[in-house]
Amino acid sequence: MSTILDLHTHSEASEDSRAPVEAYLNWIKLRAAERPVDGIVLTEHRQFNRGGDYRALEDKFGTLVLRASEVETNYGHMLVFGVNDDMVKRFDFADVHLDAQTLINEVARMGGIVVPCHPGRPNIGMYEHYQNKPPLENVVAVEALNGGSRKGEDERSAELIAKYGFAATGGSDSHLVSLIGLCATKFSAYIKTIEDLVNELKARNYEPVDFRPRRKAVPHAVAMESR
Amino acid sequence: MTKFDQINIGDTLGPLELFVSKDQCRAYAKLMGMGEGAGRFTDDEAAKKEGLPGMILPGNMSLGLLSKLVTDWIGSSNAWLKQMSTTYRVPVQPDHAITIHGFITNKNPAEQTAEIDVWMENEEAERLVTGTATVEFRK
Repeated sequence: MSTILDLHTHSEASEDSRAPVEAYLNWIKLRAAERPVDGIVLTEHRQFNRGGDYRALEDKFGTLVLRASEVETNYGHMLVFGVNDDMVKRFDFADVHLDAQTLINEVARMGGIVVPCHPGRPNIGMYEHYQNKPPLENVVAVEALNGGSRKGEDERSAELIAKYGFAATGGSDSHLVSLIGLCATKFSAYIKTIEDLVNELKARNYEPVDFRPRRKAVPHAVAMESR
Repeated sequence: MTKFDQINIGDTLGPLELFVSKDQCRAYAKLMGMGEGAGRFTDDEAAKKEGLPGMILPGNMSLGLLSKLVTDWIGSSNAWLKQMSTTYRVPVQPDHAITIHGFITNKNPAEQTAEIDVWMENEEAERLVTGTATVEFRK
């Protein structure tokens, strides 16, 4: 039994999102035919958010809700899965200059996994840092598809993946309700807990999936009326 | 005229397809007192000196265009745009086609409010400006 999870989402717990978790789950239900997502992982910016009990919502909508973090390092932004007390004590998640190699090694030692996200994005993606710094060690996977990518960003991510042999994930990076589930990750295994997710991410048995609508040209743009 | 009971989560607003010319951008900047000392809104070369690809729309102009989608939808309904928040992700360039999308994402019957996602896209379907709006229907 496979599982499709949106591994990169931001709720109203992130300062740049106003999206309630319940609205995300309702939107997934509404758009199930286009975006058949089984669950989401909340990856709030620069924090591990323990707030809120989503079990009732999970039951109501039949959608899994897991928690992780998006942190900022000297190699760009990275998702941390399997966050535990040891990690929260070891690292200040609000620090925007975390050392990426230390983070990757230490999180792995403490039972989690770090996945660099939107690596093809200028300034905050790993690709640009790889142009003038040594490659990182012990990277298992990177985010290949990001729902917020501009033209060329996913292509640069694909270049990194091809060159270094990383496993590839996908996530919407949604900050708006209606953008949830646009990109996701299809696991070959059944995932029910964060421990399952970490184990599967390490096992590399997954692929990114793209539910973005095909881009189409604007046929007849209407000029604004001059006043 | 739209009533609160008639709207549904998932309903769409627009899309609104627009083409903002450089002259319109300059006129807005001038009207808003931005012309002097803010060449990025009026002059390609000045914008390029700042590392931009060319002239860009003032943020308030993008905000106004996003608001237009919502207020057009409200029309003559007994409702008002109560709150709007925006995130500027990518500079918006004039002389390009832009499309503005909206979706109703939540309803609060007790408050008689609707939450709306809005965003502006370019020809490549890249989201340039995103936001959320709250519309309150009067009881």
